[in-house]
Amino acid sequence: MNDRRVRFTLNGEPREVSVKPNDLLLNVIRDDEKLTGTKYGCGIGECGACTVHIDGRPVLACLELAVAAEGREIVTIEGLAGNGGALDPLQEAFLDNGAVQCGFCTPGMIMMGRALLDETPEPSEAEVRDYLRGTLCRCTGYASIVQSVIDAGAKEAAAD
Amino acid sequence: MSASDFQSVGTETWRQDGIAKVTGAEQYAPDISVDRMWFGRVLRSPHAHARIVEIDTSAAEALGAVCLTFADIPKVKYNERIVSTPPCLYRDRYVLADKPRHVGEAIAGIAAPTEALAEKALRAIRVEYEPLQTIITMDQAMRDGAAPIHDTIRLMDDDIPIEHNIAVARTIEVGDIDRGFAESDIVIERKFKTNRIYHAQMETKTVLCRPEVDGGLTVWASTQSIHNTRILLGEIYAIPLHKLNVKKAALGGSFGSSIQMNSVTPICVGLALKSGRPVKIVSTREEDMYDHVRYPSEITLKLGLKADGALIAGHMRADIDIGAHNIQAYPFLGCMGGFWASLYTLPNLKYEGRAVYTNKTPSCAMQGFGAPQTTFAVECLMDEIAADLGLDPVQYKLAHYVGLGGTFWGQGPASKCIIRSDGVPELLKVGSEKIGWKNRPKAGSGSGRYRRGIGMARGFHTSGVGHPKTSGAEMIDYSGAIVKVNEDGTVDLVQSLMDHGGGTNDAIAKIVAEEIGVPAQMVGISPVDTRTTLYDVSTHATRGVYAGGAAALKAARKVRQMLLDQAGRVLDVLPESLVIEPDHELGQGVIHCPNLADRRITVGALAKHMQINSLGTIAAAESLRQVNCPPAYVSYFLELEVDTHTGQIKTRRAVLGSDCGTVVNPKLAAGQLVGGLSKGHGYALIEDNHWDPETGELASKGFWVDGKTPSMSESPLLDDVETHFAHTFEPTGPFGAKGLGEAAGNPAVAAFANAVHNAIGVRFYEVPITPEKVLAALAAKQGPGAPARPEEPVADEPRLDPAPAGE
Repeated sequence: MNDRRVRFTLNGEPREVSVKPNDLLLNVIRDDEKLTGTKYGCGIGECGACTVHIDGRPVLACLELAVAAEGREIVTIEGLAGNGGALDPLQEAFLDNGAVQCGFCTPGMIMMGRALLDETPEPSEAEVRDYLRGTLCRCTGYASIVQSVIDAGAKEAAAD
Repeated sequence: MSASDFQSVGTETWRQDGIAKVTGAEQYAPDISVDRMWFGRVLRSPHAHARIVEIDTSAAEALGAVCLTFADIPKVKYNERIVSTPPCLYRDRYVLADKPRHVGEAIAGIAAPTEALAEKALRAIRVEYEPLQTIITMDQAMRDGAAPIHDTIRLMDDDIPIEHNIAVARTIEVGDIDRGFAESDIVIERKFKTNRIYHAQMETKTVLCRPEVDGGLTVWASTQSIHNTRILLGEIYAIPLHKLNVKKAALGGSFGSSIQMNSVTPICVGLALKSGRPVKIVSTREEDMYDHVRYPSEITLKLGLKADGALIAGHMRADIDIGAHNIQAYPFLGCMGGFWASLYTLPNLKYEGRAVYTNKTPSCAMQGFGAPQTTFAVECLMDEIAADLGLDPVQYKLAHYVGLGGTFWGQGPASKCIIRSDGVPELLKVGSEKIGWKNRPKAGSGSGRYRRGIGMARGFHTSGVGHPKTSGAEMIDYSGAIVKVNEDGTVDLVQSLMDHGGGTNDAIAKIVAEEIGVPAQMVGISPVDTRTTLYDVSTHATRGVYAGGAAALKAARKVRQMLLDQAGRVLDVLPESLVIEPDHELGQGVIHCPNLADRRITVGALAKHMQINSLGTIAAAESLRQVNCPPAYVSYFLELEVDTHTGQIKTRRAVLGSDCGTVVNPKLAAGQLVGGLSKGHGYALIEDNHWDPETGELASKGFWVDGKTPSMSESPLLDDVETHFAHTFEPTGPFGAKGLGEAAGNPAVAAFANAVHNAIGVRFYEVPITPEKVLAALAAKQGPGAPARPEEPVADEPRLDPAPAGE
């Protein structure tokens, strides 16, 4: 199969990469761009560990072809912290609430939670549980994660 | 002493690996790559049981791949979990299967420069199989004339024949049950069955192996013990350990599934050795689901009682389906018997356990190792007995449980200890109050579509496998730690002990800080490998804080004394007159003489003084085995709601209590309990795996959603879950701490079953309690002639079932 050139921005940086038509975005992010915060958990859209933002919307990178990234803006977990390494309020909330155990689901959870907060500031518990229902965690039982999203929403609303 | 007496232990801190984990910087085994790395794939058997007539790899090799088959591997029969001592280590496997014994068993390995080529080459391998009888159930396996799954296995230097596919049987007897049952006024017997669930850890089993120019290897692998991985690879491939380095990578969940060296690890090493290239294998989720499951059980429990409920005799028979390999059936059977003996006082008991081979995914440890299964049977039967006798289950259990001064069997007959801390009375009192135990409904008395019920169960897990004997141990149990003071007064904790995510390493760093007298944030957890650390057996048996923490405490104590001795010289006072205390404003430990205010130096200044005057580094390396294995008690009080129209069960309230001694990481400890509830919910109500009786394939075909891991939307609401901790102090634990992790889920299944009984008046002896089973039980209860559904279609109250967004 012929390689194709694909141009997109990745965490704010313009990128131009050569990909096969069937290359998955997940593999390009992890193997070519060496951004390993985006995880492989199942490869078939069952667990949410590979969630990234494309043009501000949460997308499962394991189900997205890399060629579909043409001209789009991709943000991974590595791109969430601000310049100088300041953590996103949601990242801080995860640490405050002990919402990180093994941490393997954490990037996907935070990307999904961030997308919700961008769409719906100050979400209710029901909204959090519904929006993040496809992202699996086997360690925490989810309570600390739900609390973190709610807390970050409240903190951002208070700062506005 | 209590947590409030401590400076570091019990304080809230961000976990040390937290920033790396929330920013994606943390490196798990799948995230590590090295230069010139090839990609490995594994050819897996499509047959559940077969003989390999021929393997032809020529077409794969013609594509440029390197192939590893049975002909290439060392003919070393091993057991992948070398936690047991050699006389207890049942060895039945090779790096690649001599004959496939389950669908998904590894037949050959492939390495190629790209993943795509490796996959292509994998498909080019031709294998001719001669299918053998597929044995899926234990009944089939033990039948006369059943095909032997293993003819012989290795134990020490002997080949042991396997009869009727029984891998190992174990009997434990205390007292005389014949006399005990003869003296009983009441005898009750029930059969229980638990499911074969998947660990569903987020990280699939992964390994990267790099051959080194000196003939050695560097390995990164999913593992709960870097040292055992090294030792076993050294034995299989005859590589001296000083040339074999296993590096610690973060572990993306495990729950027991990497106590053993995972099956891909030695295959990857074989491929790296043959190709001379670094090789990496990342298991697919489907492969992972064919690699490990929890031990299921079929338990027959018979109890003999006096008329007042006092337990006189007990007989437990347990059959365990271990699948195609015996990873740790011998200790598992011992643990079941021992945990049973430790739940309630039984003067006469007999336990008979059998582990049976079948052509299915191998079973292995999963959070609780025999305790969830045993606790399900015992706690449900105790609940039933109490109801039959008209007793309050909580009071009945309190009257007969094994507590303070009793004997706890931490890991079967070989690891026992006297119980020195016991929070059970507090746990049950607080749990009862918070759930409203006294006001729970009479079992099955509810009406309407939604029926609520309250149930409870208690249990425990061990804290490690410590015991006092110097020989005859069944299990290895010790940890090592190096603690060293840096030139600015910070401290490095250098320890091979793995953290599954529960915060074990953070807890131990706090223990070290507490002992030395520096602020918690001054102790750093070092990245480690096997070359630079002392041996640690494994993070299993809830031993991390209790046993691993005690080893670090021993080293820290020595470091503290060295600091006092050196400071005494500098300050010109006797070391005995000095104390070390954390100064949080200064961000330093301060060594001072309470009687002489001017004799004062920070740990940092002392360490700097020692460096510039060439006085050496203050450091200590210590190993330690605990001589006790105290129980970490847990209590569950649940309120459930059963939908009698759909059979679905919702957790409406949960009160979870833990007696882990001193709480070292408060929020993470509470998180362990909530996580235990989530896994318990899956285990009790929804999760299971089935294998096709003809083909031996997983019915789920490796689709994770079919394994039914609980998601956020079906987990209880924030306000409905409450955790609490007993105010106890374990005298043998570091600063009073004992275990917590595995205990967190052990009573869950029993609590769910008991609460369901309270809600609808039906006892379930088999889990998962699926909606289908609930509806069938309700229909059976109503009898033939009754309407299929109770007439009450409207919901009793507003429920949190959010509409799907955007759909």
